[in-house]
Amino acid sequence: MVQDKKYSLFLGCVIPNRYPFIEAATKKVFQKLGITLVDMEGASCCPAPGVFRGFDIDTWLIIATRNLTIAENNNYDIATMCNGCYGSLLEADHQLKSDVEKRNMVNYHLSKVNRSYKGSIKVKHIIEILYKDIGLDKIKNRVKYGRKNKLDLRIAVHYGCHLLKPSEIRPWGKDSETPHFLDDLVEATGCKSINYLDKYRCCGAAGAVRSAFKEISLDFTREKLTNMRAAGVEAIITVCPFCHLQFDLGQIEINKIFKDRIDAPFNIPVIYYTQLLGLALGMNPEEVGLIKDKELSGVPPFISIEPFLTKIGEKLEG
Amino acid sequence: MKDKTKIGVFVCHCGNNIAGVIDVEKLTEYAKTLPNVVEAFNYKFMCSEIGQELIKEKIKNGEINRVVVAACSPRMHETTFRKVCNEAGLNQYLYEAANIREHCTWVNTQDTEGAYEIAKSHVRMAVAKANKLEALEKFRVQVEPTCLVVGAGIAGMNSALDLSNFGYKVYLVEKTTTIGGHMAQLDKTFPTLDCSSCVITPKMSEVLKAKNIELMTYSEITNISGYVGNFNVTIKKKPHYIDQEICTGCGTCAQECIVIAANEFDLGMKKRKAAYIPFPQAVPGKYTIDMDHCIKCGICAEICPVDAVKYDDKPTFVDIKVGTIILSTGYDLYDPTILRQYGYGKYPNVITGLEMERLMSSFGPTEGKVKRRSDLKEPSTIVFLQCVGSRDFTEKGNKYCSRVCCMYSAKQARLFKEKHPNANIFIFYIDIRAFGKGYEEFYDSTGREFHIKFIRGRISEVVEDEEHNIIVRGEDTLLQKLIRIKADLLVLAVGLEPRQDSNKITRLFNVQRSEDGFLMEAHPKLRPVETLTDGIFIAGAVQGPKDIPDAIAQAKAAALQSALLIAKGKVEIDPIFSIVLNHRCAGCKSCISVCPFNAISFNELQKVAEINKILCKGCGTCVAACPTSAIIQNQFGNAQLLPMIHNAVQKSEKIGG
Amino acid sequence: MLDYEPDIITNCTNTLVDSLKEAGYSEVDACIQCGTCSGGCPSGERTALKVRTIMRKVQLGIEDILSENDIWYCSTCYTCLERCPRKLPITDMIIFLRNLAVQKGFMLKSHLDLCKKFCFSGHGVPIDDKKWKELREFYGLKKVPPTVHSHEKDLDEVKRLLISSKFNELINIDSEELGIKKKVKVSIVEETLEKYITEEEKLKISKI
Repeated sequence: MVQDKKYSLFLGCVIPNRYPFIEAATKKVFQKLGITLVDMEGASCCPAPGVFRGFDIDTWLIIATRNLTIAENNNYDIATMCNGCYGSLLEADHQLKSDVEKRNMVNYHLSKVNRSYKGSIKVKHIIEILYKDIGLDKIKNRVKYGRKNKLDLRIAVHYGCHLLKPSEIRPWGKDSETPHFLDDLVEATGCKSINYLDKYRCCGAAGAVRSAFKEISLDFTREKLTNMRAAGVEAIITVCPFCHLQFDLGQIEINKIFKDRIDAPFNIPVIYYTQLLGLALGMNPEEVGLIKDKELSGVPPFISIEPFLTKIGEKLEG
Repeated sequence: MKDKTKIGVFVCHCGNNIAGVIDVEKLTEYAKTLPNVVEAFNYKFMCSEIGQELIKEKIKNGEINRVVVAACSPRMHETTFRKVCNEAGLNQYLYEAANIREHCTWVNTQDTEGAYEIAKSHVRMAVAKANKLEALEKFRVQVEPTCLVVGAGIAGMNSALDLSNFGYKVYLVEKTTTIGGHMAQLDKTFPTLDCSSCVITPKMSEVLKAKNIELMTYSEITNISGYVGNFNVTIKKKPHYIDQEICTGCGTCAQECIVIAANEFDLGMKKRKAAYIPFPQAVPGKYTIDMDHCIKCGICAEICPVDAVKYDDKPTFVDIKVGTIILSTGYDLYDPTILRQYGYGKYPNVITGLEMERLMSSFGPTEGKVKRRSDLKEPSTIVFLQCVGSRDFTEKGNKYCSRVCCMYSAKQARLFKEKHPNANIFIFYIDIRAFGKGYEEFYDSTGREFHIKFIRGRISEVVEDEEHNIIVRGEDTLLQKLIRIKADLLVLAVGLEPRQDSNKITRLFNVQRSEDGFLMEAHPKLRPVETLTDGIFIAGAVQGPKDIPDAIAQAKAAALQSALLIAKGKVEIDPIFSIVLNHRCAGCKSCISVCPFNAISFNELQKVAEINKILCKGCGTCVAACPTSAIIQNQFGNAQLLPMIHNAVQKSEKIGG
Repeated sequence: MLDYEPDIITNCTNTLVDSLKEAGYSEVDACIQCGTCSGGCPSGERTALKVRTIMRKVQLGIEDILSENDIWYCSTCYTCLERCPRKLPITDMIIFLRNLAVQKGFMLKSHLDLCKKFCFSGHGVPIDDKKWKELREFYGLKKVPPTVHSHEKDLDEVKRLLISSKFNELINIDSEELGIKKKVKVSIVEETLEKYITEEEKLKISKI
């Protein structure tokens, strides 16, 4: 039996090893919402659904299933903070639940390390937990700020591809082209989700593109940033660390590589959704990881979040 | 003393078709200024119930006694407005149309000023004519409760059976020795893959057994006269040289016959004897001797157990009278020999779609095993080429799409692949047209399940190697790369064509052909199974390429139209015909030679021309041809036309407005 | 001199279609080349990747696609898969084509490096600098995350699985290099293979 209000937290790679403030913020925010996130001891890379799966599908499936078995042993459904991990684990779980041959193949390999897949847990993105399990109304009720002093920032929402697609095995209903659940969640905090051209398009990071063809990958991002800037946004909200990295570090890289192809350098603050939600719930910036370690160099956030924090401060004072 | 002429003019907006181009209010005001116009109105859709009521009300109140509707072409709504007059108690021939849509706004969308001037002159002319219209009465003729169906393929058979089920006598005339048509030659039918024989042979026996159907195979129509409801038809029954009444169909004659000829049913790929039936399930299953090949050796006559052989058999002629006629003479297949680049007729392993069909048929020349003509080996790579002779605007081909070839090739490819999973099948196409119920799904399955490769591109040429393999040369236009495939067999998906003897049919039955050569329907949308000759209907591929369901649907519609006439028992004839003024006729017979409807005869006694008012369609050709102005045409006489012309050439200002 | 290299398809084969079929993607010949996939492909806007062309080449067995970069330009955004009117799992097919390319030895160096990183650390993006540990600490987290980074035993498991699926061979890493002794592997294989094939076990698995 899966117990209530506890999830196995799947960290993946980018969050714990590059963007730890996402891990910190999410854990704290979920705690505040009464949900305990239990660590999955010994989990590995998911492995990545585009890149690693592109090398060898069977190996990808075996390693992903090993991660699933850790959560099965915990006996809690999986919560992921990364679209890529979500894609991999969800796809693997779906394949094994629907294909006996594959399940036998994977279990054969897993038996060598004394593991076996049972199919006893579900894989969820934290956004699904927030939107479907907790619900928009409950979140709105918990938001600290009222009508007068609300966050009220102009936000560019970026869903990320693997959160939405393939839609057949995702919980968002039939419309994978123009969903609005994340906009709803952002607006629940008091911010305004701004429509911008090609909002649902890919950030360009995934599928082994960033690792092999960085310039091509960043060109996706450049286009998105241009559209976001044209819409006059004050921050980008992400729900995936790889998209997050692509927008955060990506802006620095784009400002260099595409110097001649952009009107002006980009500097749009990139915020992970739980950080924003935390603020709305009344947590301070420090609690949700919205401060920068000034002593370390070459660590995120690469784009200054100061303007974002200043604006938040102004809104709340006003 | 006649009532004073009171004309009502009704201007239709036709949505934006008319009102979007010209000022209908201004036109209405203008109409009021014309002679004897007492009322003028405009409305969004005159043909609608509200529009019709508006006219009726004015007639009933006695405000008007002539109606001019300025709207669309009379071909569209003449009947509608005539009926309106009739229902309101006004003689329907006191209505006149001013076509300000097709003849004005549709062709002058940019020039609104000019269009308005044209509309004005149309209305002016119509009013001028309306002033001179005369009340006329329709007249009626009896309809013979019998029908002639020409051609006993799947369409003709269905028409005949439906009419027979209505209880009407049907003469079903078939040129060949068996009914069934092309469908009897098919192996299976798309998209359900029903066995064609299993579908059609029970129908064939139903036709044979139907007590209201008089079946005449191996027969042709030689003469036809008369008119709707009363056609006199002469049928020539060709000699079978075997008495059809006596023949039991035992087949001894064919067994013993020593002369071998090519079987037409199998497109020459199978042999038959001079004494033959085309295929075992032929209906009626009686034997015929092919006198082009028979050497009159006498063996069959000697051996026939019932003494049915008659070497001196002669054609007989039967005269019948029918009320209606359905033409369902079907189609011919395009002969690809002329497309030299595809090597048909030159390379043994290039065949047509219908030949493929016979090869796939269990009772075909190879008993269902597809084999190459060159070495009788089963092919493992087959290439199909679509649109052979179709969608071809050169003088070698036909412009139209033949509608069935995409599907029959997909069907043949799939059936072959079902039996030979390792075969490689390529279909070269320009566009795939899978428009019917279940067709797209069928087309999808050919790729999804059977891995038949569709290559977008038309093969440009083929050559043959020393083993008679066919090397096709084309382009995969999707990859923009040239492609060469060595095929064991090339199947040309030939299109459907009008029958070679279509001209004979059109002359005999006085029906028209459309540009593609197929018989023309009376209206492409509203009257799809009627011809311009009353009482003659068309069904199946004689009207244009059709698949089986469409052919049957049209056949059933034609049967119903036919039955409608017969059920009424009488038919109303429009009184728009021409009349000869005997005192002016010089007996020159010019009119007789120009009449396209054979409606004029010569009265030898009085030495004048006589017009059959039923056959006359009021085309006016004779009126123009008559050197002594002895012919006048109802509603289109000088009395009506001269004022129209007069008004057409006058400047509008002079008339007023 | 003729300097034009003729580019003619002379050998249409089913090799690629058959490989895809074996992997469970049997429907590639249902592609009607409508171009919906390439039309909305964000990568196709800036690279040589034309998804429709890839599908076409698969249909005709043109294997150039395995040695060319095009299939690696796909960011796996799944837009094509979502919109395909024939419901073909296009993105998954491209991923499988990448597998075929790797099997034939076509792999970009950066991807090979990534694989090696994963094989040795269990993470595609591992902690490879002490600043990352300090950063974690800054945000109040344990220096080392509770992943394979904290558990040697689990990393060992991952490595054994990579060896079991022969992934190490695919990228030319010896199992000894990964620190896994071959002997152990063999004994485990024999033991579990037997277990795997018992009917009882099969029944148990299929009941899940």
